[in-house]
Amino acid sequence: MVMPPDKTDHNKTGDAQGLSPALALALHEVRRRERSGLVLMLVSVLLVGMLLPWIANAYWTKTLSSALALSIAAAGATLLYGQLGLVSLCQFALLGVGGWLALRLSHGLAMPFELCVLAAGLLSALVGMLAGLPALRLKGLYLALVTLMLAGGFQVLVTVTGFPDGGSGWLGRVEGSERLLMARPWIAQSDASYLRYVAAWLAAMLALITLHRHSRAGRSWALIRRGEAAALGAGVNVLLYQTWAFALAGFCAGVAGALLAGGVGQLDGRGFGASESVMLFALSIVGGVHHWLGAIVAGLLLRAVPALLTDLGVNGYLAMIFFGAALLHALVTAQRGVAGQLLDGAAALRRKLGGEKGGGKGATP
Amino acid sequence: MLELLPFVISGLGVGAVYALSGVGLVLLYRSSGVLNFAFGALGAIGAYVAWSLLQADWPQALAWAASLLTAMLLSLAYGRLLAPRLAMRSPTIRSIGTLGFALVLLGFTEWFWGEQPRRLVLPTDSGALAFAIGDGEVRLTYTRVLGLLLAFLMMGGVGLLLLRTRIGLQMRALANDRDLSALLGIRVLRVDTAAWVLSGAFAGLCGLLLANIVRLQATLLTFLVIPAFAAAIIGRLQSLPATVLGGISIGVLEALAILLPSFAPFRSATPFLVALLMIAFHRPDGRLA
Repeated sequence: MVMPPDKTDHNKTGDAQGLSPALALALHEVRRRERSGLVLMLVSVLLVGMLLPWIANAYWTKTLSSALALSIAAAGATLLYGQLGLVSLCQFALLGVGGWLALRLSHGLAMPFELCVLAAGLLSALVGMLAGLPALRLKGLYLALVTLMLAGGFQVLVTVTGFPDGGSGWLGRVEGSERLLMARPWIAQSDASYLRYVAAWLAAMLALITLHRHSRAGRSWALIRRGEAAALGAGVNVLLYQTWAFALAGFCAGVAGALLAGGVGQLDGRGFGASESVMLFALSIVGGVHHWLGAIVAGLLLRAVPALLTDLGVNGYLAMIFFGAALLHALVTAQRGVAGQLLDGAAALRRKLGGEKGGGKGATP
Repeated sequence: MLELLPFVISGLGVGAVYALSGVGLVLLYRSSGVLNFAFGALGAIGAYVAWSLLQADWPQALAWAASLLTAMLLSLAYGRLLAPRLAMRSPTIRSIGTLGFALVLLGFTEWFWGEQPRRLVLPTDSGALAFAIGDGEVRLTYTRVLGLLLAFLMMGGVGLLLLRTRIGLQMRALANDRDLSALLGIRVLRVDTAAWVLSGAFAGLCGLLLANIVRLQATLLTFLVIPAFAAAIIGRLQSLPATVLGGISIGVLEALAILLPSFAPFRSATPFLVALLMIAFHRPDGRLA
């Protein structure tokens, strides 16, 4: 009498066990790939960051520091667009918010550099969260417009007030005397070591985003992107995770702002127009929004490519024509951006090399 | 109250151009579902063409016509060659696509004509309506009067076009659902052509007026589309009268802000603040809260 249910139970668990090893194996494989991808990213960013100062001259060391700092901000924009499909056009304004606070704290309270960076990130995260609040009821185009209006407002604000440069008063502006530079961290006083320092921050921030993507947050974002009703049905806290994405993107922008301020020493209020936010977003798409490499490409396009053209004596506006065409190309045909094309190229090269060596791993399955 | 009048009048001129740009933006959005980031860039390149032709001693009428024609042709080229490739994507992506077009146009204009700002003189600058206020006199140049008149005329014209004509109906159908419209036998390409050419004409017109009222500089004119978005937002990207009134009130408020000493330096933020306030009262169904 007792046997049949026992048997069926046994069969059931047997089935489950029959399934679960395969599932467990697959999951294990996914985890392993995620881990190795993360390690590869960390190692390559750090390695390139360590090596760059030896190759680059003084001018390029400074330019690359700024480019890598901007890559961090671009990583935030790619997070919002790539994971959630949200268009935020105020990323550069958030960078300015972070830069402002970092300069203010550094000049006013002489706080350690890392604390300035973290505080800048937190403030930008807060502002970014507030900017993202309308996204909870406004979708698509309206969100882009809200953030664009915010960027426009910030442009006016910061053109008038300027960035703190060691003066007294709430705004910290110097009157008449010489503008002060922001103190750099004690481990990165020289330009070369500062470039390495920025690369380390970039690696850390990219790792932070990657870890998010591999965790519950990333799965929730994927569901929200599919449709809010589906996400709600699956038990995702849409409010929490969407706001969290905005906060994380803002944090990236703030950190980038502080690092940019530290690299240059001061920030110019006229360089924070709404058009800069628009450019940052456009070039993030050009770089590629589905891979960490895309953010780095975006940072290089923003700072290094114009510098390269100046070096070569080419009119910088020709780069703008190229950027516009690249944006259209990325939207119409190459939706994974430059990063996607680089990765495809690398994969093709690997296949070719592997083929020449005779079969290899690719042929086994 | 009387001392406010000079500011109101000077604000009307800029407000009219915001309103006109807003109408151009709403027209394209309602007829093809694209919010045109390249609106300012199209106007800028048109204004530069007019400037060059005037420098070469062409007759004025030809120069203005060439300016509008340039903007219309470029707009049509984008609308026919590139926009259809994005037609199946979300409105956001379609709008971001025009951003790429704007960058191409801006890069070309700045490269070809150089960065230094120029002055574009319109024949309507010579005369002005004069208002006697108290002891003094306030003048409103005919260019600004023209802008105001055009804003209202176009509001009426475009409104009638969209609501009362067959092509207007087809435009709205296309913006609503492209596939279904095509199935119903609407000639998609013809409607697209009409929408993009019309919107290009608006861009050219606004470019000429703004190049005159503000100054002829490509980057500035290109990104003046951002405050013009504010007017379109007030019209919820749908209502033409609300867009025109919104644009004009933004211009007037911006001019009046000079009177508030603490806010005066920040007065160019007026369009953004007004737009953000309006969005705060938006409801997802499109009605005002």
